[in-house]
Amino acid sequence: MSYYFAIIGTQDNPLFEYDFGTSKQGGDGMARFTEQARQLNQFIIHSSLDIVEEVQWTNGQMYLKLVDRFFTSYISCFLTASNIKFLLLHQPPSSSSSGLPASSSGASTLTSSSTTTLGQHPPSSTSTSSLSVIPSLSTLTGGGGNSSTITLTGGASRTSTSIAANPTSPQTEEAIRNFFAEVYENYVKAIMSPFYKTNMEIRSPVFRARVAAAGRKYL
Amino acid sequence: MQSADNAPPNDPLASLSMANPTMKPLPSKQRGQPLILDSRPLSQPEAQPTTPIRERRTNPSAASLFRSTLTPPGSRSGSPAPMGSPARSLTGSVFGSGGFKQSLLDTAAAENPGDPLNLILKSFVPHIAIHDSEDVEHLVKEKGFKGGLFELLRPFGERVQGRVTIRDSNGAARTWDDFSVRFTKFGEAIEDPDTLPDPRSLRGPPPNGQPPGQYSMPRKKTSLVQQVEQVVEKHLGFAEEASMGPATPTTPTRQGLDTDATSPYYALYLRRLLSGIPMASHETFSHPVACVIAISSRHPAPIEALRQLYSETTPAEQRIPPWVDGDFLRYYVLVHDEERSDITKSMQLFDQMKRHFGLHCHLLRIRSSQSAETDDDSIPLPRSDWMSASEELADIERSEQLQDSFDDDPHLFNRYIFESDATAIRTFIREMVIQSIIPTMERNVSLWNDQVASRRRGISGRFMSLSKRFTMFGSSSSSSSTSRNSSSSNSSNGFETLGYYRPDTPEAIMRRLADFAFMLRDWKLAMSTYDLLRTDFQNDKAWKYHASANEMAALSLLIMPQNMSSKNRVEIINPMVEQALYSYHTRCSSLYGAVRSTLLSLELLRLRGGTGIDESVRWGTRLLEMRLFGPIGDALLRERLAVCYASKRGTGSQLWGSRRRKSAMWSVLAAQAWVSMGKYLQAQKCLADARRMYSLLPSEWGVQGFNGASELLAGLNEAVREGLRVTREYAEALEAEGGHSHSQGGGNNEGEGMGLGLQFDESSNLTIRPKPDASATGTSTGTQEVLVDVDVEQDGFNGQSASSQSQESQGPPQIPTPTASSSSAHSPEITRDSEPTPQQSGGFEDATPSSGPSSGNSPTRPRKASMAVRTSKALSAADLEQAGLGPGPLSPLMPARLASGSGSVSGRGDESKSSSSSRDGKDGSGFH
Repeated sequence: MSYYFAIIGTQDNPLFEYDFGTSKQGGDGMARFTEQARQLNQFIIHSSLDIVEEVQWTNGQMYLKLVDRFFTSYISCFLTASNIKFLLLHQPPSSSSSGLPASSSGASTLTSSSTTTLGQHPPSSTSTSSLSVIPSLSTLTGGGGNSSTITLTGGASRTSTSIAANPTSPQTEEAIRNFFAEVYENYVKAIMSPFYKTNMEIRSPVFRARVAAAGRKYL
Repeated sequence: MQSADNAPPNDPLASLSMANPTMKPLPSKQRGQPLILDSRPLSQPEAQPTTPIRERRTNPSAASLFRSTLTPPGSRSGSPAPMGSPARSLTGSVFGSGGFKQSLLDTAAAENPGDPLNLILKSFVPHIAIHDSEDVEHLVKEKGFKGGLFELLRPFGERVQGRVTIRDSNGAARTWDDFSVRFTKFGEAIEDPDTLPDPRSLRGPPPNGQPPGQYSMPRKKTSLVQQVEQVVEKHLGFAEEASMGPATPTTPTRQGLDTDATSPYYALYLRRLLSGIPMASHETFSHPVACVIAISSRHPAPIEALRQLYSETTPAEQRIPPWVDGDFLRYYVLVHDEERSDITKSMQLFDQMKRHFGLHCHLLRIRSSQSAETDDDSIPLPRSDWMSASEELADIERSEQLQDSFDDDPHLFNRYIFESDATAIRTFIREMVIQSIIPTMERNVSLWNDQVASRRRGISGRFMSLSKRFTMFGSSSSSSSTSRNSSSSNSSNGFETLGYYRPDTPEAIMRRLADFAFMLRDWKLAMSTYDLLRTDFQNDKAWKYHASANEMAALSLLIMPQNMSSKNRVEIINPMVEQALYSYHTRCSSLYGAVRSTLLSLELLRLRGGTGIDESVRWGTRLLEMRLFGPIGDALLRERLAVCYASKRGTGSQLWGSRRRKSAMWSVLAAQAWVSMGKYLQAQKCLADARRMYSLLPSEWGVQGFNGASELLAGLNEAVREGLRVTREYAEALEAEGGHSHSQGGGNNEGEGMGLGLQFDESSNLTIRPKPDASATGTSTGTQEVLVDVDVEQDGFNGQSASSQSQESQGPPQIPTPTASSSSAHSPEITRDSEPTPQQSGGFEDATPSSGPSSGNSPTRPRKASMAVRTSKALSAADLEQAGLGPGPLSPLMPARLASGSGSVSGRGDESKSSSSSRDGKDGSGFH
């Protein structure tokens, strides 16, 4: 199970992005997204804002639960005051690498084209140096990202009752709720900084660490 | 005609009939067409072989083959306004999320040619088999039609002239303007749509295992769906090749994600999927409703010949499979040769025919000599819109071979007939349809409804269907109604042993009843009958029948006026589609059925608006997930899903509930798919759609705040640009070999909106590649902006989005005019020069690579930069541009990207590249 967590500002701009994997059932907390899936995730998150905008008027809660689904990617949402949204994309491990049935040739062409641009610089979706290990790892594996996920699948199929394997189960819902609650707490603390203005990116390493801790704890 | 519609303004047959005083009066609607539309046939390449520019390198006749996707849908449909009668043209309110109380037919979509609903209406139409004697074939061959009478009649069936009044089962009459019939050759096109035979039907003696069966069941190497893909691919290839010519005019063929316009390729895909519905046992749409039996006046023993032909059409001859009801109407036609035969003799013969065969006779008077283009009264005979995929493939291949051997043969694909012949044929078809076919169908419907279906509807009927399953009672009693085949009572309905229903079983009769009702557009009766059949077939485990009944039930339910809430609709319709899909795909492994049922439901759900759109997308993703398509279909469907989402309307000032981000994402995904296939033109178009959608967002940030996403976009842009450049250079190299002389012709052609190429962005008067000075292009965007809502031919795809951009760019007064086309010969070089230099082609594409490294090297810096921009974001991108302080090299993606995204979309390379590059040239001068 791989997660991609993003805080989206009022202008559809990401304030904070973080991807991680499950830490339950012996998971190493690493996200198993290929580079392409990583890029696609951002599209998915962004597009599910459409649904969030619709759902938020029908639901009085801050936690909107599962709002959207894109093939195997599930998106849960948590609304804060001032219209900042927490979005969590979670992919059950079975097909986390291919969020969409891209023809394999298409995938290869694309990755080649994107790696040409990427060759000059490492992927930038993660900002802290400690986390930049993850994308570089997955870029190194390249096409092997698929195989690594498949081995992960084998491991996860044994624990099919885990939250990782059932994105729609109540347990998962509850776990994500807890995760969101904790992140929200830290988020409020972070934005109470007098230097923070609305829609600014959150670059606090403390906050990032705490999100990571929450992810380890609940997901 | 190959154009994707057979709407009155474009139908040369219809328009021609206006000129002919002997014709019956046309509906006022047609008469009221603007003159320019009436003259359309003349402007089409078939009628005008003075080569338009794009056909320089290719066979002119080949261009006519690809017309359906070449002509922009906007121009094909004419302007939407005169299309519908006033009562029907109220559309907007219908699609609101609230009301589904109207039949879809009352909406404007039904009249929009190329629209999927229209395609559905035109595809499930009565099929009329044609069985002609050899002398008729000789006669027609002399006229230049190798395929016999069938080939001559076929284009005329696509629109039965005049209005057709049909009574439904309650006796209420309704008049239709656009009734059509399909002609088939008798005993042909009997095949399983998929390569894999239905395992269930093979359990009994398979249908083609009938010992002396003369009908053939050709096992084809490729399935229908694959053929359809091949056809679309050929079209795509042709468009790409043709539009790559340096002087090729760019045409708007697509109004961005205008939800009313269907992408020509998607429309073609659907059309080919629906034309050539194979004659199969599980549905009777392609079973002949009637059979035209034709002899000519040259025949020495006409009456005997007719008898002989008749007996060949009976089931005993086994030219038709046993599951087809042999009891269809026979219509006898005497083809009179005006030039060689004696009319008095023919009249006598005709009287004799009437005495022998009753009223279903017609005397068709045509001339036997071949009409040439130069004749005064010749008109082009259009190609059929509804030829099946395999036929079209064959045609295209033939033309490709011809292209190699010699230059062009106008008579191969552009054929002409005499006006008088066209008139005669039109009259003949109208008479046959109105006086014979429709009354017969109506009579059959009411008969079957009374005798078979209504018994099943009441309580006793349900009881009977129960008892039938356990005893022999039901079938013996019901087969008495049609006691043609006395051996029908050995089992309940024979499905278990035969693998199909014999035509005299109540199930088969009801299926025919439902199909007839569907063809006669009596949705309510069709729906209720399909509903009955669903359970029957399920009980018999006749899965293909089951799937088909579910499919048609869902379709008719979606078309007919609905009073149900969206929740009800989900509960009723979704299971039907689901079962159809499951039965077709999993149980019968019928790819064709699965694709057809789901695509059609998707389209109809989309038209229902509101939550229907989400459901339709759900079905679309479902199809994608199942990977039923080849790459082309996959990409087309992605494109379509973008359109689906785009057609969802939001409410309020923020448009809550619209799906613009989703739509944009699907456009990007489609672009990705196209790029992977090397179809850069299409990819370019999708990217432009995506950009436009993003620029419509209230947030004005699009997806660009996300690094990975913008990298993906940049990579796609790069790939498209590169791909287009390479193809283009290749084309230019080719072009250098051939002469260049036709630019003026191209300009004219373009002015009529007939150009090809799938460029989207430039208004049609941009025949000319604009010189890379900023003003001209800017103006073009400006004019476009103004014309958006007025003229469909003007593409206007970036209309609403471009607001700030084009306000600024409206300033320069030069408007490119077609007269400037003289410069088009020189322009390519200029354009090409401007291409490779990155600072000129700037905007979207190169902003990203420049920002890329910086964002990678130090993770915080780009953020800072973007923050800086963000603070100054109050200035719109256009303002920045105007002020001459472009975002500069420091600023990452956003402002420049937005500017280009909303204005003329850059990164399209090629034709549009010229515009973007020129404008960006201006930007660049501002920056550096």
